[in-house]
Amino acid sequence: MSASYQAVLWNRQKKHYDWLIFAFCTSYLAVFTSVTLVYNPQVTFETLLIRSTSTLALLLLHVILSIGPLTRINKKFFPLLYNRRHLGVTMFCIAAVHGLFSILQFHTLGNVNPIVSLFTSNTRFDSVSAFPFQALGFFALVIFFLMAITSHDFWLHNLSPKVWKTLHMFVYLAYFLVVMHVLLGVIQYETNPVFVIILVLGSGALITLHLVAGFQETKKDNIKFHLQRESFVMVCDVNDIEEDRAKMFCLDKERIAVYKTDGKLFAVSNVCKHQNGPLGEGKVIDGCITCPWHGYQYLPHNGQSPPPFKERISTYDVKIEESKVWVNPVPYPEGTERPGAIITINQKEEMFV
Amino acid sequence: MVVQVIILIVGIYILGGVLFAVPFVIKGVTEVDEGTHGTKLGFRLIIIPGTIVFWPFLLSKWIKSNKKHD
Repeated sequence: MSASYQAVLWNRQKKHYDWLIFAFCTSYLAVFTSVTLVYNPQVTFETLLIRSTSTLALLLLHVILSIGPLTRINKKFFPLLYNRRHLGVTMFCIAAVHGLFSILQFHTLGNVNPIVSLFTSNTRFDSVSAFPFQALGFFALVIFFLMAITSHDFWLHNLSPKVWKTLHMFVYLAYFLVVMHVLLGVIQYETNPVFVIILVLGSGALITLHLVAGFQETKKDNIKFHLQRESFVMVCDVNDIEEDRAKMFCLDKERIAVYKTDGKLFAVSNVCKHQNGPLGEGKVIDGCITCPWHGYQYLPHNGQSPPPFKERISTYDVKIEESKVWVNPVPYPEGTERPGAIITINQKEEMFV
Repeated sequence: MVVQVIILIVGIYILGGVLFAVPFVIKGVTEVDEGTHGTKLGFRLIIIPGTIVFWPFLLSKWIKSNKKHD
């Protein structure tokens, strides 16, 4: 969390994932190079480098954009999320090699500044087959660069989570630019349909995943809770919630996580202060609600991160009546202590009746 | 011509960022964010590219934090 920063947050698991990324990238580049040399022995080193890095970066971009919806569809994908930032920075570095060598190969042979040449050597914006597609790739690379340099928690904290998240949502604009860069670039002169097929399959899979995940979330958010009494809303039975776990409810457009731990129920905001992670999908570890995304922790009774950390989330009143859980959707100021609702033995036993 | 002017402006902006980044990562960062106290060289190096890009924003935060301490 935000007590003190380190250059890179490496633990055993993250190191394992980073080695996996490294092994995958080097294997991909080796296989791509070998296959290309077999089928096209005349290929130059620059062309080989430009093509291998472009396809690898595009593949990684698809993986990165799939991780978010996959974790919303199935919790088993959460481990991928822990390492998404490292994967993003890796993807940027590979895309940067592609961009750099493309500029070197196509824009450094004349006496014009290479960047000026990139934007002025081709201005046929009205043509599909000869569109200046390189500029699209350049702007996508600028977005990936901004995302890579702000990937550290220092930037999340100092730019504010809202600005940081907005900046990183530009990845979808970058993806669109990349798709157009490929469609108006290599696909215009490449006769092999494999490029079109791969791109269509990749984009189709991404769109489907996002639609499925979005549909599931909307369905959850739109559940109506009809039974209301004195500002409290009945949300579920106390036995519907597993020990040290939570259930998430959307009340008055607020996502609230109701946690069961240590013989009590506590209601807190479902939104983690770090990257808006879904706290209700986490669990209680060492007495703290732990975000499933990056492990940020909060005390259930007051929504405060344990010292020396300083994050705070809203808390809510919760009560139990005849084994039914009632939540008041009016939030208390972030970090406000609430007593929670004590679960009596009778309420626990009712599930066995 | 327009492209050349834009590149010149971006170049000057980046130069300003480079000049700002040196004192900022040495001293300013600890005044802007108390979580950076005691951080090692690796962390300070890793925030340099971002500092060069977002230097006007960080400069304003640094000035505000100085005013608070005065």
